Amino acid sequence: MADDEDFPSSSDVEEPEDADCYLSDQYDDNAENVLQYLEDGRQEDCNWSVSSVITRESLLAAQKEDLRKIMELLALSEQHARTLLIHYRWDVERIFELLDQKGKDKLFSEAGVTNLENKINHSLSSFNPFTCSICFEDVSCSVITEMECGHCYCNECWTEHFIVKINDGQSRRIRCMAPKCNAICDEAIVRSLVSARDPDIAERFERVLLESYIEDNDKVKWCPSVPHCGNAIRVMGDIYCEVECTCGMQFCFRCLSEAHSPCSCLMWELWVKKCQDESETVNWITVNTKPCPKCHKPVEKNGGCNLVACICGQAFCWLCGGATGRDHTWSTITGHSCGRFKEDRVKRIESARRELDRYMHYHNRYKAHTDSLKQESNLKETILGKIAISENKDSRIKDYSWVMNGLNRLFRSRRVLSYSYPFAFYMFGDELFKDEMTPQETDLKQNLFEDQQQQLESNVEKLSMLLESDFQEFSDEEVMENMKHVINLSSVIDRLCKQMYLCIENELLYPLQRATHNIAPYKSKGPERASEHSSRFTKATNEDIDVQHGSAVNASGSPSPAKRLSQFQPSSSSDGKHGCSSTKRAKNEGSLDTPLFDLNMPAEVVDKSWT
Amino acid sequence: MITLLHDYQASRARLFKEYKEVQREKSADPDIQLVCDDSNIFKWTALIKGPSETPYEGGVFQLAFSIPEQYPLLPPQVRFLTKIFHPNVHFKTGEICLDILKNAWSPAWTLQSVCRAIIALMAHPEPDSPLNCDSGNLLRSGDIRGYYSMARMYTRLAAMPKKG
Ligand SMILES: [Zn+2]
Ligand SMILES: [Zn+2]
Ligand SMILES: [Zn+2]
Ligand SMILES: [Zn+2]
Ligand SMILES: [Zn+2]
Ligand SMILES: [Zn+2]
Ligand SMILES: [Zn+2]
Repeated sequence: MADDEDFPSSSDVEEPEDADCYLSDQYDDNAENVLQYLEDGRQEDCNWSVSSVITRESLLAAQKEDLRKIMELLALSEQHARTLLIHYRWDVERIFELLDQKGKDKLFSEAGVTNLENKINHSLSSFNPFTCSICFEDVSCSVITEMECGHCYCNECWTEHFIVKINDGQSRRIRCMAPKCNAICDEAIVRSLVSARDPDIAERFERVLLESYIEDNDKVKWCPSVPHCGNAIRVMGDIYCEVECTCGMQFCFRCLSEAHSPCSCLMWELWVKKCQDESETVNWITVNTKPCPKCHKPVEKNGGCNLVACICGQAFCWLCGGATGRDHTWSTITGHSCGRFKEDRVKRIESARRELDRYMHYHNRYKAHTDSLKQESNLKETILGKIAISENKDSRIKDYSWVMNGLNRLFRSRRVLSYSYPFAFYMFGDELFKDEMTPQETDLKQNLFEDQQQQLESNVEKLSMLLESDFQEFSDEEVMENMKHVINLSSVIDRLCKQMYLCIENELLYPLQRATHNIAPYKSKGPERASEHSSRFTKATNEDIDVQHGSAVNASGSPSPAKRLSQFQPSSSSDGKHGCSSTKRAKNEGSLDTPLFDLNMPAEVVDKSWT
Repeated sequence: MITLLHDYQASRARLFKEYKEVQREKSADPDIQLVCDDSNIFKWTALIKGPSETPYEGGVFQLAFSIPEQYPLLPPQVRFLTKIFHPNVHFKTGEICLDILKNAWSPAWTLQSVCRAIIALMAHPEPDSPLNCDSGNLLRSGDIRGYYSMARMYTRLAAMPKKG
């Protein structure tokens, strides 16, 4: 899809102060809208769920951040913090919540963390000699290990136990061997005992612990690229979003398939299935043709009559396929009484036919836009050529960034348009919402939606035509005219897309009682590009969000980080007022945005103080 | 291969110790009689007495143990050889649904303690995780008498010495 990596200045309509002069007469009444749009575009940035790329190299640093938060707040060692985080799926906010609700002791014991405050200390040498209650051997107290829960067995038995659990895929939660003991074994002990026996297994244990940050974490997912780029993406805030990995892969964070908004994940899943098994086509053939009983060629039925004739001259009954004579009345065929000349059968065929027509209607349009998108991707090369020619022309117009901006707008809106068809197929069909809306409501909503869809469609086609013009051969005046149109159309289209998402959220989905369909919010600039994970070890938490935004902008080469940073108001970044996040979603007002403690200390210092 | 061999030796040693313990404490627990197969230390059987004040009272039930090579790190497989009507025992296979034989297994448990846990299970069925749906349903629906009489009948039929 649109790849503006190479076109730093093409991030969208820019320079608000110049915007007015781009407006042609035809679009004058849109002047305000453009300004509004520019305004919105800026606000939208504040509402983005921040995503970052975690590479194999930065995985360790990424989890250290969460570990450190827990270690500091609860005064825990790293391994206890990890045990707690694995148990609560790396959801730091949830742990803070539960700490309030349950209290420390319950929080710890449910996760299998031994609260060291309650531990009774005694010396191991008091056991000498020690009888291990697993192997029943008497051993010296130098080869036994006591876990924090107080349970003590010989090293030999511990080691065997760890290896069995690691091989069984339970590395993240190896429990103590004592009956009914819920404690999770100290990872340092596991590490040292297992590596003494089998370094390969110890390495596997290490890797699993590391990858737990991705595997057991609802906010981090592996990038679905094939072959895999090795990255994972972390989002902060809403998980119903679309992101772009640094490898270029754009995907729905929720279901990991291609970015599919305004379809919900369920709609998209159903649609893909429907398109894959060509059951509809198979259905069509069985509904619309029957083999001739004489020559076995498929014969299509024309009109309502159930007596059909093959080109070979044979007549046969459409319902049973049996050969017949040629004389018939409305309800019977001469000399033929299969008893299936029945209304309901005809009705069934008709309804199958209607279903198919409906599917074909939406599928054709979906496919038309997807195909156009493919063709327009080729347009990019051509346009770059035209820009190169124009820039070398003797002309006072030197800036052609508007062409690429327009093209990127075309790509994004084309994408929205094509996915709006499967959305409509399910929104107004019987499959998902039949019980939620009366036929009248459905009609009303469908008209509303199709109105917007058609407006968007006609503007997208206009933009497509404008961009195909040979502007390199135009006079300066003509170029200016063309530029005005492109810029205006772009802003109109962006507004229409935004409106369509709002309509889906507020008018279509919001009133539904039972179904929950979360749609990734509309992003004027396409799926959010995840920034390289930036370690925050030297930053204060209340700056984190801004810093990440800064790096995202920086990576794509757009306006300087400093300029962008000044636009962010931390207080307004989580109020969810702007943009069009979707319906019925538990809004997670992040407590993370507010500083919980001073993180100005370097990690190493903090780590050391706990180990 | 070496690890496997080691496990095999370790489990054998442990079972041998359990065997000696059983010999020594033969009279300690009169409700349990554990017997090791003459030729295979990984095959055991046990005779347990039905707990008093339960429909199993007076019955003697035979259990079969099949012990994995990684014992005691992995639990033994145990099933009833004697027919028993109990919500947590599969009526046909004798398979037992008991947490300590699955997730909650601890290597510190012994065959003896497993027998004790099974006797406790006979006295306190858990109708919410049934293997024998019929008896589970009877108990869950509160039909204690129905459950009791069925269990009693099967105890008489299968677990008591035939008189005369
Ligand atoms: Zn323990
Ligand atoms: Zn031991
Ligand atoms: Zn990737
Ligand atoms: Zn999805
Ligand atoms: Zn024919
Ligand atoms: Zn006719
Ligand atoms: Zn017929």
